[in-house]
Amino acid sequence: MSHETTTNRSLLSGKPLRILIGFILVVNGMFPALWILFTSLKTEAELTAKPITWLPHAPTMANYLRAFTDQPLLLFLFNSFMVAILSTALTLFISVLAAYALARLQIRGRDLILSAIIAVSTFPLVTLLVPLFEIMRALGLLNTWIALILPYTVLSLPVCTLILVSFFEGIPRDLENSAMIDGCTRLGALFKVVVPLAAPGVFTAGILAFVNSWDEFLLALSFNSNPMLRTLPVGITLYQGEFAFPWPVISAALVVGIVPVAVLIVIFQERVVSGLTSGGIKG
Amino acid sequence: MATASETTLVRAHNESATKWWTRFLDPSERTLAVLLLLPTALLLSLIIVYPVCRLVWTSFQNLSLTSGAPATFAGIENYALMLEDPVFWETTWNTVLITLITVPGALLVGMALALMANLPFKRKWPVRLSLLIPWALPLAFAGLIFAWFFHSEYGVVNDVLRRLGFEGVIWFNSAKWAFAAICLTIIWKTSSFMALIILAGLQTIPRSLYEAAEVDGAGRLRQFFEITLPLLKPSIVVALIFRTITALQTFDIPFTMTRGGPGTSTATLAMYIHQNTVDFLDLGYGSALAVVMFALSMGVTAVYLRMIRAKG
Repeated sequence: MSHETTTNRSLLSGKPLRILIGFILVVNGMFPALWILFTSLKTEAELTAKPITWLPHAPTMANYLRAFTDQPLLLFLFNSFMVAILSTALTLFISVLAAYALARLQIRGRDLILSAIIAVSTFPLVTLLVPLFEIMRALGLLNTWIALILPYTVLSLPVCTLILVSFFEGIPRDLENSAMIDGCTRLGALFKVVVPLAAPGVFTAGILAFVNSWDEFLLALSFNSNPMLRTLPVGITLYQGEFAFPWPVISAALVVGIVPVAVLIVIFQERVVSGLTSGGIKG
Repeated sequence: MATASETTLVRAHNESATKWWTRFLDPSERTLAVLLLLPTALLLSLIIVYPVCRLVWTSFQNLSLTSGAPATFAGIENYALMLEDPVFWETTWNTVLITLITVPGALLVGMALALMANLPFKRKWPVRLSLLIPWALPLAFAGLIFAWFFHSEYGVVNDVLRRLGFEGVIWFNSAKWAFAAICLTIIWKTSSFMALIILAGLQTIPRSLYEAAEVDGAGRLRQFFEITLPLLKPSIVVALIFRTITALQTFDIPFTMTRGGPGTSTATLAMYIHQNTVDFLDLGYGSALAVVMFALSMGVTAVYLRMIRAKG
């Protein structure tokens, strides 16, 4: 069968060309991350040698040691993790409730609510920097995780709700009804039957929410100026060297920041792609 | 069978109705719907609706936190100030230019990546990962990594240029080259997401259409323009709307690469809003700037929606 398509679809599907194209795709996607990994393994002397070297001659972990000791990188990691995990949990909880109502219950104005949710996903959150700054300041929430968790939840809420609505709609009502016959309340049936059955959807939504929070920069930079409360992207960007921008340390810190998300992506790649392309779109 | 389970359901319902707390836990459908949507409504009111009102209100106020003076009504003073502020015009123009360059750029590169990724590869995961990694990488990280790429002395870009016999470029000392570096970085970062969306669209196009076209003697190029492109239109339009709106908010990449420099030549409107709000604490002026950005992105959404409806 593949032989037939090869002959049918001319040169472009030829094997050598396909390998070349695959190579181009992989280089385009991976090269920046790989290059920063190589950089992080080089000694300072090698980094400032001319002409520059590509692969590290004598790989060293010294930059990683410095990345963790020069600045509170571990604390940045911790802040990023906590903010991302807590906002993901909050997003999932709120969007599971909303999605269940939208997928299962008779609601007047259901379409209106759905369009409002889609509208929120196109909303430029940057424009709310001033009022959110004022509100967080008034509530005394500047330099806390909460200042970030609440806006991040809104950032991911539309995508997660839309993904979950489509997953919930795919679950047969009979299963839920029989749980209710067995004495479950409607909410009990939601958390004991519907959510477990929609686990792939909940998971997909969760990964997207986590990545959104992990990546956010502007609000984290604006609301949490205290170095002890910086998230990873902000902490690394504001790294101060004694003289010039400390590239060896920065590259090691970047690798540390890329690894958690890369692991998530590698393990759940198919799920992430389906979530990105079906339920919600936000980039 | 059905009647049997229905009676059980009714019995179960009657039993539970006797206890008030069960009724509280198992409310009527309408009450339940309201309760379930309440958290969403509360959160959106606190983080979107109220702030939007507050934003518009503050943009008509003199409100600077540095002076400590209470807010006073300023009328259109902030807006008038803005029209005479060269930095406002420069950052707005930069933002529009970044949008005009990187959105079509990401679309073209994304389309190319998607067409390449749609080939029948034996192993799918390396290609899939190569499209996902740039999407998952934080924008700020992409900015930092590419700033290192474009480093005038130790950057890999100048290294390649020198090996090819060109002069290295001091990217971040000139407005033009810095701007080019920023645009290239944004296109790299955003094109793979475009590619994922377009790829998903490509995979829904039935093969039989191409086979029929081949029978009719249509060449590859004609197939692309008469089958692929029209059928991809819905996914492309949606991706374009989101990409354009995020492009108008561009902040992370120029901030991490150049901090807006040299001078303010690569600063964006979002960076100017951030500077006025967080650094200068001039909330009135920051709000007026944000209203302009808000209007810009509403305009984009409206234009696109009209396009979808017109060509339907």
